[in-house]
Amino acid sequence: MSRWRTFVSNVAAIAYKEAAIIRHDKAFLSMVLIQPWMMLLIASYVLSNKPADVPWAVLDQSHTALSRRLVQSVQATGYFLRPQTETSYESARERLREGKALVVLVIPQSLARDAERGEPRVQLLLDGSDPLSAARIGGYVSQVASSFQLRISAPVALDPDRPIRSAGPIDIRQRFWFNPTLADREFFLAALAGMLLTNLCLSGTSLGLVGERESGTYEQMLALPIRPIEIVLGKLVPFVGISYVLMLFAIVVPGLCFGIWPHGSWLALFWTTLPFVLASLAIGVLVSTLVETSAQAVFITVFFALPSFVLSGVMMPYQFMPHGVREVGAVLPLRWYQIACRRIIERGGGIIETAGPTLAMFAIFAVLLALIRWRMKPRLG
Amino acid sequence: MNRRRLWTLVRREIQATFRDPFTVTILVSVPIGALLLFGFILATDVKHLALGLYDGSRSAASRRLAADLAANKTFDITAYPSSDAIGDALGSGAISVGVVIPADFDDDTRRSRPGAEPPRIQVLYDGGEAALAGNAEAFVNSLLQASAPALGDQARDPRRSVVPGAERGGGGIGVVARAVFNPGLEGTPFMVAGTFGFVLSFLTTLITAVSIVNEKLAGTFEQLQVTPATSIEILLGKLLPLGAVFAFDVALMVVIAGLVLRVWPEGSALLFVGVSAYYVLISLALGLIFSATSATAAEAVQKTVLFSIPLVQLSGFLFPVRNMPTVVQWLANLLPATHYIKISRAIYLRAEGLGSMMPDLLFLFVCGVGLIYYARRVIEARA
Repeated sequence: MSRWRTFVSNVAAIAYKEAAIIRHDKAFLSMVLIQPWMMLLIASYVLSNKPADVPWAVLDQSHTALSRRLVQSVQATGYFLRPQTETSYESARERLREGKALVVLVIPQSLARDAERGEPRVQLLLDGSDPLSAARIGGYVSQVASSFQLRISAPVALDPDRPIRSAGPIDIRQRFWFNPTLADREFFLAALAGMLLTNLCLSGTSLGLVGERESGTYEQMLALPIRPIEIVLGKLVPFVGISYVLMLFAIVVPGLCFGIWPHGSWLALFWTTLPFVLASLAIGVLVSTLVETSAQAVFITVFFALPSFVLSGVMMPYQFMPHGVREVGAVLPLRWYQIACRRIIERGGGIIETAGPTLAMFAIFAVLLALIRWRMKPRLG
Repeated sequence: MNRRRLWTLVRREIQATFRDPFTVTILVSVPIGALLLFGFILATDVKHLALGLYDGSRSAASRRLAADLAANKTFDITAYPSSDAIGDALGSGAISVGVVIPADFDDDTRRSRPGAEPPRIQVLYDGGEAALAGNAEAFVNSLLQASAPALGDQARDPRRSVVPGAERGGGGIGVVARAVFNPGLEGTPFMVAGTFGFVLSFLTTLITAVSIVNEKLAGTFEQLQVTPATSIEILLGKLLPLGAVFAFDVALMVVIAGLVLRVWPEGSALLFVGVSAYYVLISLALGLIFSATSATAAEAVQKTVLFSIPLVQLSGFLFPVRNMPTVVQWLANLLPATHYIKISRAIYLRAEGLGSMMPDLLFLFVCGVGLIYYARRVIEARA
């Protein structure tokens, strides 16, 4: 019993000392204060997969009312700038090469005649150098064209925030659940907490531990009647606190600014954050045991954090990634945390729905702890 | 400027860099790692997307539709016993798309004459993964539309000539889409060309930022300043060797991208390496400014990281600048990285010539001159 009490009081003492240090660390505090706002702005305004202001060109060889109407209805989707007019294939290709147009719509001379015969066709040249945009824009134009009314000219007002519904031989009633307008903002903001906490936990712990080693205070602590594991735990406690504050920020501010509140249970959100924070902190500790100087710690954390944003599926759906890369991403706690967060925030999940990701994060944490125990010895000099 | 003094400084810098095994490891492994990682990461041809299907009709037509959906491996189809089960699966994230074929689907198909109501099916997407849903939508639509006339034919009198457009009451124009420059719409070339921008902006700035601060902490920077070397010599003594190392990195990346990922530059490789080398100078100058204005290594690194995170997002490396709000686009266009990534994609993917890249090149040139001049001022002020 008394051993347990010593343990707790030791950890609390280190935590107190660490909190005092953090309170006076201006550089760290400014990072904690600036970064959330920066990431919030980026996630809500900068990151977007939705095509906008797409430059395009039309090579209209038919010059009929029909072709002009087609161009208009493509324009009416709201994704495109005003079309540029091309006169030949060569100039159209050149326009694509220069990047002045992403799409060229080629309307053959025979369009009106083909329409009479019932087989109207147009050609679409896409700039494949940006494949994601090309695929999506090509899809939009195809949908506009396939639902194009050849005879009745009923102007349909299209809302650019809504995906185009197509009318074909099969009446497809489609609905986008959880995010009806397919807004990228909800997608990215749901993972905001994950991005912030990764940055905080990784850089905070690894820099903190290595910094103490560099300045020699780590050795002083080792000389105290405290076990290394107590030092580490004590140093982590304040970060868990800050992590929860940042998580609240990442949930409340998007709610206040954009009305994006979690649909699911807040309790589940708090619960799943715990293993994520622990695992991320553990990665920071592990990094600190691997490097010599704080500059090295920074290199490793930065080059770990940035790719992990992509690999985990925070930036783009991991379902896009080929197998192999996908499995590599599954090692990252951020992968599971973003799955859990999006499940809770966007789809209204609770503790049961996020049990899988939470367990995965605890498992990762356990493995990391084992690694840390193996790497960390009370080292002097 | 004295050439011998400069050469001494350059030699000193090279020795200092290569004596530290950690820096050497970083210089080689980060570019290669980033290249392989980002090169493989983006696959635009969505494959094996989980699709849940509830077939309420259990008819030949609905089975045919399901087979068409499964045909090209875009979707992995799981059957669900009810439409509620589909809803649950969508909510738990088990599937990304749900297709519900109602019980009267087949009747509808048989009645599909001109004027009659078309057969109806319901498609549900998991909008939580917005980008994924957007792409899946295009796939599902095209697959369903492609299979629809066939379904109609099967039901109709086979001897009647089928004219799809006329049949549908005058709707629809066929689109033949062709992607130039990258016919397969593969993600790898796009990402490879962007990764150059990522590595050359980030790694360079970070390495220089740390290098000067470390010298300052060790006191060797002040020793440098009391030597007869002028500030421009000190500056070049830092920039040139690191620039050479990164020029080597660029060449290494080009070769690895070519051999491993099978992506060679479409345009002139020489032009690409030239522009890249100049861009490296810009990033290095930026790193010098960060470090010269910081007191500790931690501060320099924090400045670099704070600057670099938006740089990665704003520069168009992952998300097209075009999609951003206008004000953000202005900001993005102020970053040298945006222009460099544009140029690198233009050369790498579209074999663009010098002419149309002039505005971007000019911007980079002005940026470089300005930043190097400013870096020199900063170093001088410290002397």
